[in-house]
Amino acid sequence: MEMTFYSGFVIPFIVGTSVLFAVILYKYVRWMARLPRRDKLLVWRRMFSVATLKGLWECFTECLLHRRIWRVNPLLGYMHTAFALGWFLLIVVGWVETVAYLGWRFVPLQGHIFFDYFTQGMDHGPRWGIDFELIMDILLLYVLSGLALAVFKRFRSRSLGMKRTTRLTLGDRTAMGALWFVFPMRLLAESFPSQLPLWWGYSIALGVFFVAMPFSRYMHIFTEIPLIFLRRWGIRSEAGREKSFDHFQLEACSRCGVCIDPCQLQRDAGFWNVQSAYFIRDRRYNNLTRYVADNCLLCGRCQRSCPVGLELDTLRLGSRWTLSGAPSNGRFNYARGVDLSSGAAGSGDRRVGYFAGCMTLLSPRILRAMERIFDAAGEPVWWADRDGGVCCGRPLKLSGDLDAARDMMRMNTELFRNHCITMLVTSCPICLRVFREDYRLDTGVDGPKIEVLHHSEYFARLIAEGRLTLKEVGSQLFTYHDPCELGRGCGIYDAPREIIAAVGSLVEPTETRSKALCCGSSLANTAINDIAQVRMAQTVGRDFEATGAATLVTACPLCKKALARGTSLPVQDLAEIIEHHLA
Amino acid sequence: MSAIEWGYGINAPRTMDLDRNDIGPAREILAEMPEWGACIACGGCTATCTAGNLTSFNFRRVHTLVKRGEYAGAWAEMNKCMLCGKCRLVCPRGINTRGVVRLIKRKLGDY
Repeated sequence: MEMTFYSGFVIPFIVGTSVLFAVILYKYVRWMARLPRRDKLLVWRRMFSVATLKGLWECFTECLLHRRIWRVNPLLGYMHTAFALGWFLLIVVGWVETVAYLGWRFVPLQGHIFFDYFTQGMDHGPRWGIDFELIMDILLLYVLSGLALAVFKRFRSRSLGMKRTTRLTLGDRTAMGALWFVFPMRLLAESFPSQLPLWWGYSIALGVFFVAMPFSRYMHIFTEIPLIFLRRWGIRSEAGREKSFDHFQLEACSRCGVCIDPCQLQRDAGFWNVQSAYFIRDRRYNNLTRYVADNCLLCGRCQRSCPVGLELDTLRLGSRWTLSGAPSNGRFNYARGVDLSSGAAGSGDRRVGYFAGCMTLLSPRILRAMERIFDAAGEPVWWADRDGGVCCGRPLKLSGDLDAARDMMRMNTELFRNHCITMLVTSCPICLRVFREDYRLDTGVDGPKIEVLHHSEYFARLIAEGRLTLKEVGSQLFTYHDPCELGRGCGIYDAPREIIAAVGSLVEPTETRSKALCCGSSLANTAINDIAQVRMAQTVGRDFEATGAATLVTACPLCKKALARGTSLPVQDLAEIIEHHLA
Repeated sequence: MSAIEWGYGINAPRTMDLDRNDIGPAREILAEMPEWGACIACGGCTATCTAGNLTSFNFRRVHTLVKRGEYAGAWAEMNKCMLCGKCRLVCPRGINTRGVVRLIKRKLGDY
């Protein structure tokens, strides 16, 4: 049978597909070509490794099954899987179906897509013992069930586990409208294959969707695939500059809006246009404002919940650098060589230094507690900054001034090295994070290794070694607030809990550990005012009051001050409760 | 006849002519950060300042001068700030002091 596989109605589809693939090819080639040399080498080196196989598996579980969205909400997961897996199977089974009915021969793209039109009058009974018609109908029904949920979600997103959904752009709405028409039109056209207008409708819906797709949020459908592989090959975004790789992250964002609900700026402070979905959107379309870039706590709650696993915090830091970063030009030379430290640091291979950090210096109770604990443990300590010193550099990094932050890092590193310490203890998680991520003290790269510990880890170790004995002072009920920089930032959840368990009992708030709320006063946000900060602290405070605990414990001097403004509970640092229970 | 060298002199006049000073940039900063107007010049910010502990940097002095249209040297001084945030915590008026620092640096880079 001679088939031409051509009819006027296929034109919108052909045009749409051509535009789609031309744009995607242009974008990907451009972004790949602009990758820095180091990243390109990484790609070549890791392309033929097990990382690629893992990437393939991740493509299957994430791009098709959407496992991470299932964890957010099963209905939401079902909806995404129905679209992705359903459509994918329709295409794959459609190709097999073509081969089954027409044999091994060249069939142009439209021949596969509009198979039922071009094979009218042909016997559509089972081939190879498989009822393709039935399978295709069931798959279409599967996609339609997802579509029904998607339409329902527009009106009642709460039922799918989302209090708020993303406000869409015009391009998004166009693409979404077309997408909603694609599958019902397909159903109609395949039900009445002789009706040409129905095929025209189906083809136009596809064409419009394909043209709008690379400019809308639906670009994520294809972009998540290269993103997964590049990530598996070890390519990352950087805080100090915007990179070509960022494009893959920006366009892999589907603006699904899962990041919106966790954002406390939205939930408690009433900012609705600064969340990661909007930040990414604004940066992608080149209309990012300083306000949006700056108005973020960088608490990491959205990054934790992002189903695509985007490096949201790093992307925002990159933008902050572009918008306000400047070369340091030696503007901190006044602090060079400053050494206001005191005390001796023990001897031999155990020389402990203590870096209080700016925020601890503002909390004399924590300082006093630390002093007594060091005494009780018989640990000679070198106090790096009791009488003042140079900031750790993290606040400058968070505001995009990475070059200036590096000046701070150099000065502090020099200070630590001069005093030959082998262990650095800090009670500030903000300092801890920058020590671990940027100082590279424990790598031994530029000098002897210096182990960096948060005071919670240090205390836990002292207790385990039997150097610190604690006594029970009645049975006290504590609740614990995970500081963002300590928990999500450095992954320290258990050490503080061990210490609390050693002196009393612990009740957890509703959102805890990696889901813990931010105190609201994060140094990363230079845009919000006092009222917003207090409002967030009060919401968090209510959560802790509901636990019935007598004392709220935290492990960050800044969180301590912030939370104290939002709750009637006494707020104490870990060091203080240990001091209170010293035998 | 040359003047007698006493080894000291008279201070240069330090008057501020508020009628002549260009208040524009200060107003712009105030418009973006209205809470800045709530400052009572208590000096808490300066007393806790990490940078002020190491050098003569005086946040209260600089931002008060800026408010009055005296911009000379303000940008260079503000560049000493490490943005550590202690000033914001002690401010009894709850002013976003780090925001003020960043605004002054952004608006007064030309002076």
